[in-house]
Amino acid sequence: MEEVEEAEDAPTADFRLFASTYSKTKNISAQTIRKGGKDFESHGTRAQASALDASREAMRDVLSYTRVHNPKSGSRGWYFPDWWRDWPEDWEEQQKSKGGKEGEEKEKIPPLHIRDRVVILEHASVASQSLGRAATGLPKDRPAKGRDWLLPEEALYLVERGSLDLWWPTRGVEEIFPADGSVAAAAAAAAEAEGEQKGDGNEEDEDDEYKYGFPLSLQAAYALLIGEDGERGKVSLQKFQVFSHLKRAGYNVIRAPTTNLPPPVQDDTQLTTTTTPAKPKTVTEWLISCLPQSKESSPVDPPPYGPLVPPGLYRSYNTIYNHLSLRPQASPTDQPRVPAQSPETDSPFKIHYHIYKASTHFTRTRPPPPDFYISVISATSTTIPTLSEISSLLASAPADLPKTEWLTGGPGRLYARLKHGYRNVLLAVNDHGVINYMRFAEGGFAREELFRGFDGRVSGEPRRGGGGGGGGKKSGNNGRGSRGGRGGGRGGGRDYYPDLPAKGVVAGR
Amino acid sequence: MAENMNTTTMSQPSESPSKPGEDNPAASSAPPRPQRVPYHQIYKLPAPIRTFPLPSFYPSNPLSLFHLAVAWLRQVLLPPPAEPSVIHEGIWDPDTRSVHVKDPKSIRALWEQGFYGKGSLSRSEPNWFKRELSRRGLDGTTVSEERTVSRREERKQVKWERAKAELEAIEKQKLEEAKLNSETVNAAVPESLAAESEPEPQVLPASLPDPVLSATSTAATSQAAPTDEFVPKTVAHGHIVEPKPPVGPLELLALPNSYALVRCEEPVLSQPEPATTEENVRKEFKPPVGPIELLALPNSLADLVALSVVSVLSEDIGIDEDESSQSEASALTNDEPETSATKVTDTTSSVSSPLSTDGQPDSQPAQEDTPATPERRKSVRFSPTVESTTFQHTDAASEVKNHNGSSDVEAISSAVPAVEKPIISNVEPTVFSEELVDKEHFQLAPEEAFFLAFGLGALRVVDPVTKAPISNEQLLIKLRANSYFPPRSVDNLSPEDPFLVQYAVYHHFRSLGWVPRHGIKFGVDWIIYQRGPVFDHSEFGIMVVPSFSDPRWSEYEHEESKKTWSWLMGVNRVLAHVLKSLVLVYVDVPPPPVFDEEMKKGGIAAALKKFMIREVMVRRFSVNRNR
Repeated sequence: MEEVEEAEDAPTADFRLFASTYSKTKNISAQTIRKGGKDFESHGTRAQASALDASREAMRDVLSYTRVHNPKSGSRGWYFPDWWRDWPEDWEEQQKSKGGKEGEEKEKIPPLHIRDRVVILEHASVASQSLGRAATGLPKDRPAKGRDWLLPEEALYLVERGSLDLWWPTRGVEEIFPADGSVAAAAAAAAEAEGEQKGDGNEEDEDDEYKYGFPLSLQAAYALLIGEDGERGKVSLQKFQVFSHLKRAGYNVIRAPTTNLPPPVQDDTQLTTTTTPAKPKTVTEWLISCLPQSKESSPVDPPPYGPLVPPGLYRSYNTIYNHLSLRPQASPTDQPRVPAQSPETDSPFKIHYHIYKASTHFTRTRPPPPDFYISVISATSTTIPTLSEISSLLASAPADLPKTEWLTGGPGRLYARLKHGYRNVLLAVNDHGVINYMRFAEGGFAREELFRGFDGRVSGEPRRGGGGGGGGKKSGNNGRGSRGGRGGGRGGGRDYYPDLPAKGVVAGR
Repeated sequence: MAENMNTTTMSQPSESPSKPGEDNPAASSAPPRPQRVPYHQIYKLPAPIRTFPLPSFYPSNPLSLFHLAVAWLRQVLLPPPAEPSVIHEGIWDPDTRSVHVKDPKSIRALWEQGFYGKGSLSRSEPNWFKRELSRRGLDGTTVSEERTVSRREERKQVKWERAKAELEAIEKQKLEEAKLNSETVNAAVPESLAAESEPEPQVLPASLPDPVLSATSTAATSQAAPTDEFVPKTVAHGHIVEPKPPVGPLELLALPNSYALVRCEEPVLSQPEPATTEENVRKEFKPPVGPIELLALPNSLADLVALSVVSVLSEDIGIDEDESSQSEASALTNDEPETSATKVTDTTSSVSSPLSTDGQPDSQPAQEDTPATPERRKSVRFSPTVESTTFQHTDAASEVKNHNGSSDVEAISSAVPAVEKPIISNVEPTVFSEELVDKEHFQLAPEEAFFLAFGLGALRVVDPVTKAPISNEQLLIKLRANSYFPPRSVDNLSPEDPFLVQYAVYHHFRSLGWVPRHGIKFGVDWIIYQRGPVFDHSEFGIMVVPSFSDPRWSEYEHEESKKTWSWLMGVNRVLAHVLKSLVLVYVDVPPPPVFDEEMKKGGIAAALKKFMIREVMVRRFSVNRNR
């Protein structure tokens, strides 16, 4: 279960699989594609040669596919870098609070990042459904009211995808998008197309296709939209790479708020570590007092140089381990006792994007709580986070507790609980475009006091009480046995490239 | 750690410990051993401290009242000694920077009650003595290391069989294709020519299904050509009836890819002549991959070496061999390397066998040098059983050599078992039986020793010279100073001493009930077991990251760890490969003023409380699997 997630993802495209999906006429079915085996060199059989050839042929087919841009599915965006430059960032909140319906609608709207929105969309298209936002609460006479504005990474992603034409405007916003709601440029383009159809090329007509601006190339789009970190209206290349990778993988991605929210407060009352069940007090307590004194009370000050467990008589291992404990009484969801986070304001470890699984129902204006929080980190210019960096990063993410059945599952789900952690953040470590995603989670070892099970184990009860050691042991054995048999048969033998038969033969690999 | 060796025993507790294939006369003749004590009884105590719980009283069970009364009476009348009742003694060893324990009782106790320490000659459990006994067949027991070895053998066998099956499938495929080919050729030939079928069945039929395939398939068939002859050749040897799985370097080299290249260079060999296959095999091109082949290269001193070896050997052995044969051998070495090599090995093997029956192992190293044969045959055979790759001390070196080095396999393989078998049975029990002493001692890592002394009070560390006990305070200073190399002076110690940082982590997990053990084998600082290496696999590998978040640290010299991301990925990769997950344990080290003040006030017990421990679970996140 956990290992599956750890396992290698197969990033390389299986061209035969791909070919079978886009073209039903080719009689390659996805079922017949063999996955898993990897041939290291040719062994001279014709079956191998033909399999290799079929794979090559499929690759050629896929690569020779002609991409067409359907003008209807495409959309046009205009680059207006300065339209929102001086607009107050908290405009929507202001409007909302002015609106008056205080208690009724306290809906949390995602931050707009309005000053960074530099590309205006003419029409919404399928590709831009989850992208872009329109500023709400604008005055009626403001031009381009209600139009969707894209962030630089969103615009660049759409341009790269081929579903957006980025245009450089030669006129102002108020001319292209008049306040009456029409789109002058679109009308002009439509008229031009119509005119061409008619065939009367009216040269004198100023109302031509390029009256309002010029289309931009992909290079120009990169030049306009990629910039340094923190530059207004631009996005750093590393963040864009992570953004587009996640988008292409099917996630919905929105920018996280730039200002660090105050760490969310939650009650962990239900999570306090389970205390030992109070044993029923017997009436024979005075009998116990006759017994040799047992060191039950935990000392306030342990002896300076030990032993922490003073010599004496002990009735329970709980007592012994309570003596041993030198932990400050802290629970993992407590705010860390890290000194002020002030020096870390320029730390690169911040949550940059909120990520939603494709299966999560997602709307642009009312997004649900994110599935993941991600921070984009440069692999070369940063090192692994320091304690204060990771603390503030984890603190900016809300608590994400292990599943309730794990929490109540007792010792058997110990590993699942520990591995899941109590809050987590993804780190996208970007090494010049090669992105490695890692999940950093707050560990909760202090919650799992294993010594609670020691008394039951020692008193000779069968291994049930031993803290789930039995169950874990058995499955671990099975897993390892099968693994040991398979792994490393021929130079590792793991199928990183299941799509490439006869790897040794393929040129360049 | 010890987890590998324990899996078998746990899964099959009732299994007879002696392996069936083992020639172990002592074990088979010995009376049935008593029932093995279950692990949860041996390793019952989680710490070297016993507890005396009062039996609980169940109102439904009147007998429990009786139990309670007995326990009460016993404890009132005969109070048990204060725990820890046994204080073990360890000797501080400055050379290895560890604490040695010599008393066998203490060793067992420390290992069984909390899995402390390791045997100096063992991976973890101190069982060198047992291992040695069972290796010599004196004791009927098997140790877990042997089970590990046997399991590795099994695994190797499985892999071998898998490779064999794969190769068989390929061979089958080739045969089918060849048959298909000859059918199409046969069908095509009578139409064009009435002559006999062509000698080359590999000629590409014009009716290839796909024209696109032609380029690659011609290459494929040209590669298939040698392998078609390869099969009858191997059969002609008579040794191999089964196809060989390409597991060794020689077989890999002999695979069609490289083979085809050779054949292109030497077109003469492409004629399949069963009569001369033996010669063909000898004259085949041999890439100089091994040390022996490298030595045999023309510009080496192979000839000289071979000569001197022969002369030295005969002098050492002192065999009255007639000079003519020796000179003949040396002459042959100069003229015809092939036959001389055969001669040399033949003589040495015939010479060595009577000697080794006398039980003189001195002649064995001399023999090791003889396989400097300038020419070796390339064909490597697969015996149906996988040979062991681990060699015992008593294994005859000549046996190994004969299989690899000599060319006359039939003669020696028939000679070897007859000669070597009796040696083993004669020599083994007689030589070693009496004087076997346990030479192993027990090592406690600094953290373990300090925990036992400072935490539990179950260990007393003594000075190696004066044998005077070292107080915990002194021990701490010693351990802190020795965590640097060279050891620092007492004045130079600081709160960021590696020992203090590591000990804080060790103590943290120990006091929660985990069993931490050093994790250097897995590339981490610690691995933690839920119950112990005997019971379960460790699930977490721990990397300690000292951090200095207190602003006061800026006034003091300290070593901020700047670990790169590639370091982290590497650690994580290695751990994921052994199915553990990585835990970064940040230790927030208190600045010197805080630390010193606490040390003055409440000693190390108070100072350790200032070391903040924070665990961060790290694992890779797969974008493709979490959609």
